[in-house]
Amino acid sequence: MTPLTPRDRGRRFRMLTAAGAGLLLVPLAAACGSGGSGGSGAIKIGVPAPLSGDSASAGQDILAAAKVAADEINKAGGVDGRKIQIVEADDQCSAQQGAQAAQKLLNSGVVAVAGGYCSGAAVPAIPIYGRRGVPFVMDASTNPSLTDSGKGKVFRTCGRDDNQGLVAARFMTGPLGAKRIALLHDNTTYAKGLADAAANSARQAGGQVVYENALQPGQSDYGPVLTKIASTRPDVLYFTGYFAEAGLLMKQRKQLGLRFTLMGGDATTDSTVLKTAGAAAGGYIATTAPLAKDLPAAAAFVSAYKAANHADPGPFSVYEYDAVKVVAKAIDDAGSTRGAAITEALHKIKGFPGITGPITFDAKGDRTDPLYITVQVQGGAFTAYKKLDESGATWVDAKTS
Amino acid sequence: MSEFVQYLVNGLTIGAFLALIALGYSMIYGVVRLINFAHGDVFMIGAFAGFGTLTALGATGGMALPAILAAVVVGALTTGVVGTGIARAAYVPLLSSPRLALLIAAIGVSLALEEGVKVLTDARFKSYPHALDGGRILSGAVHVTWGQLVLVVLSVALMAALWLFVTRTVTGTAMRALAMDRDAARLQGINVERLILTTFFIGSLLAGAAGVMYGLYYVQISFGMGFLIGLRAFTAAVLGGIGNLPGTMAAGVCIGLVQSFSAGYVSSRWTDVIIFGLLIAVLALRPTGLFGERVVERA
Repeated sequence: MTPLTPRDRGRRFRMLTAAGAGLLLVPLAAACGSGGSGGSGAIKIGVPAPLSGDSASAGQDILAAAKVAADEINKAGGVDGRKIQIVEADDQCSAQQGAQAAQKLLNSGVVAVAGGYCSGAAVPAIPIYGRRGVPFVMDASTNPSLTDSGKGKVFRTCGRDDNQGLVAARFMTGPLGAKRIALLHDNTTYAKGLADAAANSARQAGGQVVYENALQPGQSDYGPVLTKIASTRPDVLYFTGYFAEAGLLMKQRKQLGLRFTLMGGDATTDSTVLKTAGAAAGGYIATTAPLAKDLPAAAAFVSAYKAANHADPGPFSVYEYDAVKVVAKAIDDAGSTRGAAITEALHKIKGFPGITGPITFDAKGDRTDPLYITVQVQGGAFTAYKKLDESGATWVDAKTS
Repeated sequence: MSEFVQYLVNGLTIGAFLALIALGYSMIYGVVRLINFAHGDVFMIGAFAGFGTLTALGATGGMALPAILAAVVVGALTTGVVGTGIARAAYVPLLSSPRLALLIAAIGVSLALEEGVKVLTDARFKSYPHALDGGRILSGAVHVTWGQLVLVVLSVALMAALWLFVTRTVTGTAMRALAMDRDAARLQGINVERLILTTFFIGSLLAGAAGVMYGLYYVQISFGMGFLIGLRAFTAAVLGGIGNLPGTMAAGVCIGLVQSFSAGYVSSRWTDVIIFGLLIAVLALRPTGLFGERVVERA
């Protein structure tokens, strides 16, 4: 057992007071007893994700990936001789549930958090973790404001929407040769942020934004929206929402016989889209961080994931895997489970060999080398298509790396 | 102009589903005075039953009409049985309790069905085989697919069958009698409990058929799909004068058109505001619905 810090002594005092005050207060005291150092039980790492609701399948994929990472760490002897335990919480991809999930994780005594999916759920969660000093490594929440205002306790293994928006705009005005660009989002923090970023970058790149509006998720019928968009005569429609609507948009665009190119953001690269859209998915382009199958370093993870879950990893599974791994590494480096120590260790990590590439965080907590590529649906699967070369100026074939 | 016609075609197609679901609300309200909030989830279960049937039959692309009809029949029968079971287990025991108990039971059933399907399907979206993707009737400025036509024809056929059943059969007549006055109907020797179960069977049957048709049209189904569409169908039932079957059919189509035109000419994010605003307006200004009094014709 490591020596008690003043904070821990305070906590112990509170525990004693609570015990004295009566049994009713015991649960409260247990709730306060999180994040302490020492102890010989498992080290708890929280995974908030949408386990129910429209984005549930993405959330399940994230949780499954976290468990694969934890299993691997535990089989290799754990961290500091202690096992890693994954504690899940359902954030339902909503702000309200996001805050509750964060509170639930803290109450169950997690020392760090690795997960999240929707930026909208991360927004209220960040200050809750922050007040406890518990670091939060996000795997899929890509809104720029999250790390811009996170004051250094927030990290992410994924890229940022402004990065993705830039890549999307350059692709549309470059290889696609689009002049008139339509943007469609769904009013979520992520989708609106990405649409705004893409609109700004597109205007700078000389494109004309002819339509920018939101659809209402869950309506199933986007024929009227598509008809309206078609009346603005765009060359390309960039949809920045989630996969549930993307598949329907593809299908209904084909039913209506509309000819503009349909592109999407990284939340649309789920295999559900391919089943929903069927033949209408052919040629669909999405901007995304590289998928598991495009990452040679992820091969071992993919087979471990398949063995455990009898399914392919989801689009963000690799980023969740890396998030759990990098948190474990930071706990190991810090030799402590105190939030401040883990945060400091995370900032010190340089070139950690993640399966998504080397991981180094900048002062804000963003990856220093986030890379987005475009993928295209070919033969019923998302296939790596084009990416910007290292100079950031020329498009090259993404498969050659 | 072509946009207008396109919105009209889309709206009529959605309206056909909504009318079928709304009929269930209307009939059940007619005989039990219950807004069956689980009705949207019964619709969802129909979609899943149809999905299971099509998967089992191995139906894929093209117009596999026999497979489609088989899925509609199986989906409808499944929900018919489920709906009757719900009524038997949750509503009939509460018939003599205050109305509020029934309403709360309905909300409980709704959540139980939704969460049950969520657990059974791993909360994942399922995709129907693309059975209705073949061929367009019209292409060019306005697009109409064979799939849309098949669905509208099926809906109209089901509604016509219901109309004949309610007006031309003994059971249908008994149902109308029950809707007018439960006690008087009982005095005429009508087995009220059995007739209530029959009404649930038929109402749920229609919702199940609509569920399969929805799955065929939109392809993507999930455990949560019943909630919003259920509320819209409920709005249609109120708009049509709840209990009034022809009014409900017409109002279902109207709501479909409102949905399509509001999404096209205003914005899809305003659709629900407009539809539910309409619900409030109708309740405030004309609580008997737009289509006349609900006195005699309710079933």
